[in-house]
Amino acid sequence: MIEIRDIHKSFGALHVIKGLSASIARGEIVCIVGPSGSGKSTVLRCINGLEAHDRGTILIDGVPVDRTHGSIVDIRTRVSMVFQRFNLFPHRTALENVVEGPIYVKKEAPDSARRRGRDLLARVGLADKENAYPNQLSGGQQQRVAIARALAMQPSAILFDEPTSALDPELVGEVLAVMKSLAEEGMTMVIVTHEIAFAREVADRAIFIDQGVIVEEGPARTMLAQPREARTQDFLKRVLHPM
Amino acid sequence: MQKFISDAVEFLPILMQGVKLTVIVTIGSLLLSTVLGLVWALMRVSGSKVLDYSARTMVNFIRGVPIIVQLFYIYFVMPDLGITLSALQAAIIGLGIAYSAYQAENFRAGIEAIDHGQIEAAQSIGMGWWMIMRRVVLPQAFRIVLPPYGNVMIMMLKDSSQASTITVAELALQGKLIASSTFKNTSVFTLVALMYLCMSLPLMFLVSRLEQRAKQGRR
Repeated sequence: MIEIRDIHKSFGALHVIKGLSASIARGEIVCIVGPSGSGKSTVLRCINGLEAHDRGTILIDGVPVDRTHGSIVDIRTRVSMVFQRFNLFPHRTALENVVEGPIYVKKEAPDSARRRGRDLLARVGLADKENAYPNQLSGGQQQRVAIARALAMQPSAILFDEPTSALDPELVGEVLAVMKSLAEEGMTMVIVTHEIAFAREVADRAIFIDQGVIVEEGPARTMLAQPREARTQDFLKRVLHPM
Repeated sequence: MQKFISDAVEFLPILMQGVKLTVIVTIGSLLLSTVLGLVWALMRVSGSKVLDYSARTMVNFIRGVPIIVQLFYIYFVMPDLGITLSALQAAIIGLGIAYSAYQAENFRAGIEAIDHGQIEAAQSIGMGWWMIMRRVVLPQAFRIVLPPYGNVMIMMLKDSSQASTITVAELALQGKLIASSTFKNTSVFTLVALMYLCMSLPLMFLVSRLEQRAKQGRR
């Protein structure tokens, strides 16, 4: 459903993505790993047009991603995103954050949107927090609201941009648990993460990116356990054994 | 003191007419400057270079010319161009335009204080530029901008006296007229100053309340 063909992206003189192609099927769970600055978040941000790629094509169900074209709205409702820093709207409650898109973008009736929103909050384990404002929630709770907000758009796929990197270690588990349950329900997910153990357990496929190109990809379980490439081996060693 | 009180009783009704015009000029130009200022600010953050540049030029133009000269221009020069305005209209438009430049900078600061991540989040659920402004940015910017907006109100109240230079008989001019015909300078101008204070002190109180609330509301 997501088709990336030879994309390039530069920020000024910095060439971040240097010809990258990948294809993600419906229902597939792909983890993207790699050192910081390797361009992995940028790839994710190009997929839903938060960033414009300079060359190449990205197709979502056959429709090219072009942030200057009207079709981008439809693409963004089909491919939701969860951010590293949650990015909840601080002036709205948890439930309001969740129903904002359905009511104002999808023009869903407020009553049914709120009913669905409550179900989604319950699904991420926050049924009792619908009236809490983001600053009254822990990081893990905020990220779970953000996941509910992404789900509320009834997307075909969700992009996760380092969803647990801004969390205190003891809060990582609750977010990963929600993501795992989504995976089990067959949601298409592209996850940029440093949680190698999680990736190994949940992902179908892993992609290792370094310096703007794909160095290695393969089934997550085997590739993240026995990588072939030296750069992948080196990276995994540093992530798994930082000392 | 007794003299002052009897003067006050005598002049107050005339001065109150001035107060009425002061209030009309202040509110009128406040509304105009708010609308115009918001337009300049939105142009500046629109992401369009043309709009940004035009707004910036406009704001610099307005800030670079004294308010009095702008008032003179609108009241005395516009008729030559075929646009005749009453003194009151000219005062409201002149002060409104002059203050829109300050409002714009204030609004822009408020808008740019909103974390960019929220704008991306709004984009990622399919919101367009206008909806992001309306649903995400402006409601939050509003709270940030409120205290400085209160200060603009106070400055505006005082600067409405500049309308006297184009014959609007607001409080300051009304006072000057009475003083020059009765020679009771002390009583009249003390009274005028007190009346301005009566209007601006409550506003100052309001501003400090808003500032306190903004401080408490901060995350």
